[in-house]
Amino acid sequence: MRTAKPLASVNLHGTQGAVLAMFATLAVLASIIALTAGGYWLSIFTSGFAIALAAAGTGLLYGRLGLISLCQFALVGIGGWVTLRVYHAFHVPFEICLAAGGLGAGFIGVLWGLPAIRMRGLYLALATLMLAGTFQVVITNWSFPNGGTGFLGFMGDRSRIDIERPPIASSDAGYFIYVTVVLALGLAVVEWHRRTKPGRAWALISRNELMAEASGVHLVFYKTWAFALAGVLAGVAGGLLAGCYGGLDGGAFTAADSLLLFAVAVMGGAGDWRGALLAGLMFRVPPALLNYFGVNGFLATMLFGAGLIHALVTAPEGVSGKIKALIASLEGRREDGLLP
Amino acid sequence: MIRIENLTVQFGGIRPLDGLNAELTASIVGLIGPNGAGKTTLLHVVSGFVTPVTGVVKLDDVDLLGLSPTRRVALGVRRTFQQEYIVDDLTLWENVLSVADHVSSSGRSAREETARAIDFVGLDRWSHIPGRRANLFERRMTEIAKTLTGRPRVVLLDEPGAGLNEAEADRLRQLLLAIPGAFDLQLVLIDHDADLIASVCTETMVLDFGKRLALGPTRTVLDDPGVRRAYLGNI
Repeated sequence: MRTAKPLASVNLHGTQGAVLAMFATLAVLASIIALTAGGYWLSIFTSGFAIALAAAGTGLLYGRLGLISLCQFALVGIGGWVTLRVYHAFHVPFEICLAAGGLGAGFIGVLWGLPAIRMRGLYLALATLMLAGTFQVVITNWSFPNGGTGFLGFMGDRSRIDIERPPIASSDAGYFIYVTVVLALGLAVVEWHRRTKPGRAWALISRNELMAEASGVHLVFYKTWAFALAGVLAGVAGGLLAGCYGGLDGGAFTAADSLLLFAVAVMGGAGDWRGALLAGLMFRVPPALLNYFGVNGFLATMLFGAGLIHALVTAPEGVSGKIKALIASLEGRREDGLLP
Repeated sequence: MIRIENLTVQFGGIRPLDGLNAELTASIVGLIGPNGAGKTTLLHVVSGFVTPVTGVVKLDDVDLLGLSPTRRVALGVRRTFQQEYIVDDLTLWENVLSVADHVSSSGRSAREETARAIDFVGLDRWSHIPGRRANLFERRMTEIAKTLTGRPRVVLLDEPGAGLNEAEADRLRQLLLAIPGAFDLQLVLIDHDADLIASVCTETMVLDFGKRLALGPTRTVLDDPGVRRAYLGNI
């Protein structure tokens, strides 16, 4: 039986509830990891949480706008490159470098998103994959700044000056908490977008572009906004990765990684913050586990391929969608008096 | 008031609209004709999704043809489509608000206008349900509510009664009759249901092969032997 509900409270309650649940989940998860995980596993979870930010952007583009962007991990690399470049050029605090990385990747994300104004589906996927391939070629030749001189700031592989972490997060555990806080803020921004005016505009665009235009939605503006946001998130993720390892490796940002990021974002669930978190963890933890047990970590790529097919065929809303459906079902049963 | 002068649309060798002239002045105007007569194409032209090869379309004194679809929305042109485009994972309230976001003067007025539109179409009790759980009638009402936010001047409805049962069609009829007075706007209604057109529209235009077959008071038009022969058959 449908029941009436106060209109004004619907959206606000949903947004606050989702953000509070996200903060609580991250706080509990981060506490457990920080207290139990050692050096290697802490760095795995730190990078997984950082990549969750990039997955949130990928999921936003796919889940809210129906756009398949296969260049998001390249944007992580761009964010990392700018973060390191700004640090080595000016030796400014980490937060400023991180902001520069986010803005740099956001700007490139907008430029790369321009094809999306006219393209969708397979064509957009191919165009963005080509961009990821282009970045792979460029970064393999340039590598990441490591304290050298000139525009590229690269002084060879044998020596490297690490980027300084924030003073409040100089230890591995402290930096993990720092990344968790940035992730929480990033996911909160995404959730706010999803549930407010831009999110509704993106939902209309995803449903039907003609209808969206007939509703007064400016397609170019809102698509550009989405690509900018996804780019900033990816860029910040790249900066956080740079802080995690001190520097970045030019061979770690291949087009295949962008494909992998899309796969885990879909498997995790492109609909909300849970999906992004799961995607970040899936990106890093299974390969690390395989390596830990002496199995080639690249086997995870095959598993993700199979998982992606499974998700697209049987659960397009991903694992987080299943969790959400389970919660909704339990709430329904409680309302019906079947549960205490 | 919508004024159309010498409007021609051409897709390859086909002319869905061919030198159409009309002045639609009534508060509720019916637009009827057989399939392929050019009715929906005319709505596409007015809302900016089809560019004619010749002609003029004016809303009051404003020439619409040089304006983008979103600019026309800002001027007060609203429309629905034959298929309802409700977003499944937004509530009905959010579906209406998603339009009000872009046509209202502020966030507060968007919410107020959404509440008024939702209330007006009778969805206030169901507005919190997600689109995926709405039935056909609720979806149609949501589509109509979407057109009533902001300051609409003309609302173009493309077959809002299709697929509704008799009771629902009757509720739709009452609603359509009330809209122009409550929102101070002109309603242009495409529908194949001659009874709905006859009971709601004071003025009706009949299109056939992209040309105007008749335009005038609805009863006169529906009783016109030429119209009956070309479109309505023996009713």
